[in-house]
Amino acid sequence: MAEPAYLVASDSETTAEEKSSSPFPDIAIGIDIGTSQCSVAVWGGSQVELLRNTRNQKLMRSYVTFKDEIPAGGVSNQLAHEYEMLSGAAIFNMKRLIGRVDTDPVVHASKSLPFLVQTLNIGVRPFIAALVKNMWRSTTPEEVLAIFLVELRAMAELQLKRPVRNVVLTIPVSFSRFQITRIERACAMAGLQVLRLMPEPTAVALLYAQQQQQNVHENMGSGSEKIALIFNMGAGFCDVAVSATAGGVSQIKALAGTALGGEDILLNMMRHLLPDMDSHFSTRGIDEIRRMGLLRVATQDAIHKLSAQSNVQIDVDLGNGRKISKALGREEFEDVNREIFEKCESLIKQCLHDAKVEVEDVSDVILVGGCSNIPKLRNIITGVCKREIYNGINPLEAAVRGAALEGAVASGVNDPFGSLDLLTIQATPLSIGVRADGNSFVPIIHQNTTMPVRRDVIFTTVHDNQAEALIIVYEGDEKAVEKNHLLGYFKITGIPPAPKGVPEINVCMDIDASNVLRVFAGVVMPGVQNPAAPVMEVRMPTVDDGHGWCAEALNRTYGSTLDLVTVQKKGAH
Amino acid sequence: MCSNGVGHLPRSEPLRFSFLHSTRLENPPQFVSFRFRPGPAIRSSLNDTISERPAMSFYELLGIPETGSFVEIKQAYKQLARKYHPDVSPPGRVEEYTQRFIRVQEAYETLSDPRRRAFYDRDMANGVHLAFTARRRTKFDEQTEEKSEWKSRWQSQLSELKRKSMQKDSDDNMSWGARMRRERNQSS
Repeated sequence: MAEPAYLVASDSETTAEEKSSSPFPDIAIGIDIGTSQCSVAVWGGSQVELLRNTRNQKLMRSYVTFKDEIPAGGVSNQLAHEYEMLSGAAIFNMKRLIGRVDTDPVVHASKSLPFLVQTLNIGVRPFIAALVKNMWRSTTPEEVLAIFLVELRAMAELQLKRPVRNVVLTIPVSFSRFQITRIERACAMAGLQVLRLMPEPTAVALLYAQQQQQNVHENMGSGSEKIALIFNMGAGFCDVAVSATAGGVSQIKALAGTALGGEDILLNMMRHLLPDMDSHFSTRGIDEIRRMGLLRVATQDAIHKLSAQSNVQIDVDLGNGRKISKALGREEFEDVNREIFEKCESLIKQCLHDAKVEVEDVSDVILVGGCSNIPKLRNIITGVCKREIYNGINPLEAAVRGAALEGAVASGVNDPFGSLDLLTIQATPLSIGVRADGNSFVPIIHQNTTMPVRRDVIFTTVHDNQAEALIIVYEGDEKAVEKNHLLGYFKITGIPPAPKGVPEINVCMDIDASNVLRVFAGVVMPGVQNPAAPVMEVRMPTVDDGHGWCAEALNRTYGSTLDLVTVQKKGAH
Repeated sequence: MCSNGVGHLPRSEPLRFSFLHSTRLENPPQFVSFRFRPGPAIRSSLNDTISERPAMSFYELLGIPETGSFVEIKQAYKQLARKYHPDVSPPGRVEEYTQRFIRVQEAYETLSDPRRRAFYDRDMANGVHLAFTARRRTKFDEQTEEKSEWKSRWQSQLSELKRKSMQKDSDDNMSWGARMRRERNQSS
C-alpha cells in the first residue's frame, strides 16, 4: 500500500536507490498467510518457486508458541508432537481473530481454541493470552502475526540471499479495510512493506490467466475470453470469485466471501461428539486445555479420513473418566455441517449472479484451499456449475503462486517469454458508503466495482439552517448501517444558513491504484460558483481499535436519527 | 509504487475533484490526513467540468467503429487496460494512467451493456455533446430499473420529454454524464 501506518527503524537503512544495484531488483515475494498454514513464493526468473524452510517444508503451520522467553513460530519451530501446539502456549488462527472486536461471532466461535480468548461484549478487542509457566501472557493477533512474519522474512532472506522488503499478501474477500490496516500494521512491525493485498481467489485467477496465456503461446488454447469460477475454502474463510480472462488480463467480475471455513466444520464436529463441550472446558485449566487439544486432534483426524473413506471410528480418552467412542459416517458429517455447505452453495450462486454470468458461460471451475478435498463440497460445486473441476492447479499452492506472480508484475519485472505479461483488474469486495436518510446505509462505491474508481453522490441537509453535517463512512453490504464495518467519520462545518434540502453536500469517494480510499466532501449552494465551505479530504479508515464501541457511542450521543447532523440523499423525500 | 502517486503532472483532462490532488508526498505517514483547501471554482469542479473536456466519444476512446460488436468492445477494453492500468504505468505517471483507465472503464461499462449503449447511441444521434464524465448512472438506478421494467420505460419516456424541453434552452456544451445526472435529479 502507498503509505504504511508507520515505518520501522530499518526503513531508513535501505532505500529504493540502494537496492537497485542488485541484479534482481527487489522483487516482491508472495505470502499466503492461511488460518492454519502459510507459504511463501517468489518469481525465480522463469517461473514461480515456493520457498522451503530448514525442514524442507513448503507449507508451514501458522502459529506462534510462547513456551520459552523468546516466542517461536511455525516457520522455524519443530513441534515435538501435534499436541504441543495445543498445550495452551501456542496461539494460532490469528487470521480469524485479527481486527475483530469482542462482539464479533467469529471471536465467540474462537473461544473453544486451546488458549485464552475472553470477551466482554462491549466492542473492544478480545483478551487473548497464551499459557506460559502457568501464567497468562497476553498478546494480540497483530503481535502474533508480526512474530510469524519476522520468521518468514528471515527464511526468505536466507534462501534468496538478499534483503526482502516488499510483499504481496493474500487476504480473504470478506476482510474489511479496517482488518487490512491490522494486517499492514503486523507487516510494518515485521519490517515488510505491503505492495499489494490480493483477495485470495483473485490471486488464483491470476495464476489461471497465466496458464491460459501459456496455452495460447503453445497453440493449445483459442485465445478467446474465458470465464472462470474460483472457489476457495480454507480453515478460516470461504471466498468466491468470477473472473474473465483473455490475453493475460484477469478481470475480476464479482467477489463474494464470508468468515466460514474448516474451523467451523471442526467446531461443529467437536460439539457433535461432545455436546456439553463448552461447560466441559469452561475453566481453562491446564487439564481442560489438554483435553480440548485431544478432542481437537481426534476430530480433525476423523474429518480428514472422511474425505477418503465413508466411515471412521473415533476413540479418544479425555481423561477424568470421559471417553468418546463413536463410529462416524460421512452422511452424518454432512448432516451436522449442512448449514455451512448450504452457505457455500448460496455464495457461489450469488457470485455468479453478481457477475451477470450464466453457468453455461463458465469455462473452468477452480476449487482451492484446505477444504477442497471434502467430497460434499466438490459435489456442490460440480452440481451448481454443471462441470468437472479444473485439475491444472495445485489447490494448496495456487494462492501463493498467484501472489508471487503479482509481486513480480508489480515490481516491474519483465520476462522475455512473456510469462509476466499479466494484469489483474480488481473489483471492490465490499460496498463503501455513508450513513444517511436516518439510519440507512447509502453506498457510494458499490460492491464489485472495478478499481481504481471515483464515484460521488449528492446529499443535502434535513433541517433548516443546518450548519454541520456528520459524514460516517461504512463498508459492507448490510442494509442496517450498524451491521457494516465503520471506517471513520468526519464533520462538515460552515454550511451557510438555508432551508433544509437546499445545500448540496457532495460526497465523493476515490480508490486509487494502490487501493487507498479517500473521501471528499464539499458544500455547494445553488447558483453560487464557489464552495460554501472548505472541501474536506480524509483518508480512510480513520478509526482504530474499539471501533465497535465508537459506533455505539456515536449512536448514543446523536441518537438513532443523528438529529442535528444527519444528511440525506438529495432528492430522496 | 507509493512514491509515484504524485499529482503535479500536467493533466489534460482533469476529473472532478482533481483540484484536490496536489502532491501526495506531503502526507505524513498516519491514518488521518485532514486537508482544508480553499477551492477555486469549486462549482464547476464539483458538479460539471464540461467545458475543458475534449469531445471524444466512447467509441473513439476505445478506438472502435460505432458499429463495433460486443467482442470488439471487450478486446479493445482489455488492450487499453493493459496499456493504461496503473499497475503497468511507467513510474511517476500513476495518477495520469489511473485517470485514463477510469475513462476507458466507463466507456467499456457503457458500451458493453446493451441498454446503456442504446441510451448512449441515441443521445449521440441527437447530437448531444459526448464528453467523458467520471459519473455514470449509478448501480442503484440500474437495479431499480431491472426490478421493474415498466418503470424503466416510463423513466426513459420521461427523460426523453425532459431532454426535448432541455434542448430548447440548453447550452449544447453539456456532457452526456451531466445530462444524465440532471435527468436523474429531476426525475427522482
